[in-house]
Amino acid sequence: MTAEIDIRNVSKSFGALTVIENLSLSIPAHEFVVFLGPSGCGKSTLLRMIAGLEGVDEGEIFINGVRVDPLPPGQRGLAMVFQSYALYPHMTVRQNMAFGLENVGTPRAVIAGRVQIAARMLEIDHLLDRKPGQLSGGQRQRVAIGRAVVKEPKAFLFDEPLSNLDAALRARTRIEIAQLHQRLRATMIFVTHDQIEAMTLAERIVVMNNRRIEQIGPPMEIYDRPATRFVAGFVGAPQMNFLDVRSAAAGAAGLEVRLDETLTVLTHVDPAEAGRAAVLGVRCEAVHVTGADQGDVVGVVGVLERLGDRALAHVHLATGQSVIASEVAQTRLRVGDRIGLKFDGDKAHLFDAEGAALPLWRAP
Amino acid sequence: MTNRSDASARRRKAAGADAPDWRNALFVAPYLFFFATLLVFPLFWGIWLSFHKADIFTSGPFVGLGNYIRLFNDAVFLRSVGNTFYFVFLTVPALALLGLFLALSLNSNSRLATILRGLFFSSSVLSVTIVTLIWRFVFIPQYGLLAAIYKLFDAEAPSFLTDPSLAMIAIAITTIWWCIGLPMMLFLAALQQIPADIYEAAALDNASRWRTLTSITLPSIRRTFVLVVIIQIVMQFQLFGQAWLMTRGGPNNVTRPIVLHIYDLAFRRWDVGLGAAASEVLFALILAAAMIQYLMSRSAGERS
Amino acid sequence: MSGRANSRSARRGIGDHLILALVLALSIAMIAPALWVIGLSLKDNHELMANPNSVFHPPYVIDNYVNILYGGGVIRWILNSLIVSVGLTFGTLLLSSLAGYGFARLNFRGRDILFIVVLFGLAVPEQAVIVARHQIFSLLKFHNTYHGIILPGLSNAFGVFLMTQYFRAIPKELDEAALIDNASRFKIFWKVLLPLTLPAQATLGIFTFLLSWNDYFWPLISATEKSMYTLTVGMASMQVNFAQSEGVGFLMAQAVFAGAPIFIVYLFFQKYIVTAVSGAAMK
Repeated sequence: MTAEIDIRNVSKSFGALTVIENLSLSIPAHEFVVFLGPSGCGKSTLLRMIAGLEGVDEGEIFINGVRVDPLPPGQRGLAMVFQSYALYPHMTVRQNMAFGLENVGTPRAVIAGRVQIAARMLEIDHLLDRKPGQLSGGQRQRVAIGRAVVKEPKAFLFDEPLSNLDAALRARTRIEIAQLHQRLRATMIFVTHDQIEAMTLAERIVVMNNRRIEQIGPPMEIYDRPATRFVAGFVGAPQMNFLDVRSAAAGAAGLEVRLDETLTVLTHVDPAEAGRAAVLGVRCEAVHVTGADQGDVVGVVGVLERLGDRALAHVHLATGQSVIASEVAQTRLRVGDRIGLKFDGDKAHLFDAEGAALPLWRAP
Repeated sequence: MTNRSDASARRRKAAGADAPDWRNALFVAPYLFFFATLLVFPLFWGIWLSFHKADIFTSGPFVGLGNYIRLFNDAVFLRSVGNTFYFVFLTVPALALLGLFLALSLNSNSRLATILRGLFFSSSVLSVTIVTLIWRFVFIPQYGLLAAIYKLFDAEAPSFLTDPSLAMIAIAITTIWWCIGLPMMLFLAALQQIPADIYEAAALDNASRWRTLTSITLPSIRRTFVLVVIIQIVMQFQLFGQAWLMTRGGPNNVTRPIVLHIYDLAFRRWDVGLGAAASEVLFALILAAAMIQYLMSRSAGERS
Repeated sequence: MSGRANSRSARRGIGDHLILALVLALSIAMIAPALWVIGLSLKDNHELMANPNSVFHPPYVIDNYVNILYGGGVIRWILNSLIVSVGLTFGTLLLSSLAGYGFARLNFRGRDILFIVVLFGLAVPEQAVIVARHQIFSLLKFHNTYHGIILPGLSNAFGVFLMTQYFRAIPKELDEAALIDNASRFKIFWKVLLPLTLPAQATLGIFTFLLSWNDYFWPLISATEKSMYTLTVGMASMQVNFAQSEGVGFLMAQAVFAGAPIFIVYLFFQKYIVTAVSGAAMK
């Protein structure tokens, strides 16, 4: 019992502030989709509109072909997990989980059965008679999920559920949510600002910024082929290196861009777009440290971050710009070293002045 | 894709969880019913009555401002206004300052302080009848507690409640004994809001106890002080029980407050219109006094 | 700091002692009348008449208290006060909770304006409406009835104000979770939010009870028949009819008898009463 959700031309304003503008999105059944974006981009609002907690000013929302936007939240067959769990403090875990089913008149026996199954699945069956105040953060989170699971909803809505957990717990719960999806195969919509959560959990990511959808696609597509500069910079840590382009000319394999007197990068971007090239983006794993004379450009190591599995070198160029390069963990580099940087042109991205990514090119 | 009328129809139908719904008003309706019938309506009805010569069942003929004119020509009424002001003057500063003093002295966690705080607040939970009963007997000449104390010093206690110059003072003392709890509690709450690190900084700055009090503590609770004064003014303007039960407003109407006059007019002489007029005058006085106090404190605050 | 303590301690000692002495003097002034009254209540009436100072010496008897239970309408008055106060408390809690939830959590047209109007109601003193109320109740024949004494108190805005503030402080997500759980607005009120307001209910309940129990003016003019007197009115009427020291002991015993229950309530619920009273002042 799962849902296909269809959002058509939806808009919402709070007073004079337009929060969502003419947004359309289709979510097929069983999919785990993540709404990813910075604070204020509209992702939570969109989720709440699907849930019915916010009204839709214009447009429609359909679940399984049935129009739901006029319906109150309880009648859409959805379940939501809140950032702050929103457990009823004076009820036991069992009562918390049963509340929703009681309100629709489900028979006692059915409720008891579902609660038991869900509790066992989430490993909270020994907590059923405790009150939320007696539980740890992670346990409360599981109860919140359990409350959603027992309702056997058409879709699960998660509103930044991991934000209140510490790092270790966050990682563990992430995996549990992934397993939950594998197990239930229900449609799940997950809202977060954390790109790691998005990359690891999503089948598709909807990247939002400033009330618009920037890109929709599977995680690797978002990572490897960002549609806009925003997406390129938002996904992937550390952030992609961005360098201003001085001029561009057509080359054999693609557009050759000149970044300053000394540095030219050979990309695989369609040469026809020479006029639009404004910014070059290249991830740190595509920037290699070489000897001072063997690279595309010379730089000085400013800061060296050792992460354990690799090292990140922040290199200052003569132009004043800073580039992050990825190095092996045991690198012998030191602060102040004069080194060369080699850019991996076929992994480079180009963006125009508005931030749109320029298309790649295949040589004929 | 969609034309305008379709869009607006959809807009009307799609309601969020928070949309205005007249059914939600049903929650406040029961209270509002009593509010409207028992507060709002009588408020305006009272004003209306004050313009009529009314008795308990009918509102009688319209007399315009006649009642008000009669009031201001009534020596007893004017006397009662004066008495009320005098009473407020006696009690409010004393309550505020004494309350402040007690709050400052008892602002600690010691066992003694806690017990004493409870003691000073306990009188506030008694009803006016019990309080006046107690203090009438305290003041009774020859047999009263005060008389006994005076006898310790070989003196004769004056008869407070029958002495025109002392009667109001006796009522004031009774009232202060009765009402000291609230100001003290309000000041205590305000004192506890002052963060501890301010005191620590003052200590490091070598401030003396007195200096700390005047430069740090008192300014921090200025707003509460104003609040206490306003509340007490409003409360003490409504003096009734103590005067009615201890002296009946006498001797010679020296302790007759406005509310007693209202009671007399409306519920003893059944001159309901006149009584209503008197109550409107009282209402106006209370509002004015509270307003003035508030504005005075505002401007003083802005100056500093 | 410690270096200064020595030079300061002498001065500190005097200042502190003075304050302590003053506070203790005031404390004695506070408690003396009450102790004296209790003493009087434990003396035989005739003995007191003969020698007022006998209050300071034994013997102490409890005859006065025994007489209370047999004579006078004190028991009846206490019953009346109880019915009125409990009735008003219950009514206030119900109305204020419903209205508080409505103002704090629900949206309807005119909500904000209505709330401000209610707030203004706090500023209206009793006397401004009492004459009109009396006439209205005369016409409705509500005098000398229980509902006649209880009803005016239900219009008090303090409870609504308190409950609204309290409901506002509860996180909105609970409402949202319950909405998604298909609960009606009333169910959210009754099953989810109301149980979380118990501290406020206790505070408001005790405050209302106290205020009602001690109310004098309205019961005085509305309950004019002896059998309908509340305790405050009844006791006041007794005060009127006494000659100098005759029955003083008995009178004092009545005072103690009447005051003791409230005092006991105070001792137990001190925290709530103080909270309520301070909160009332914050309007």
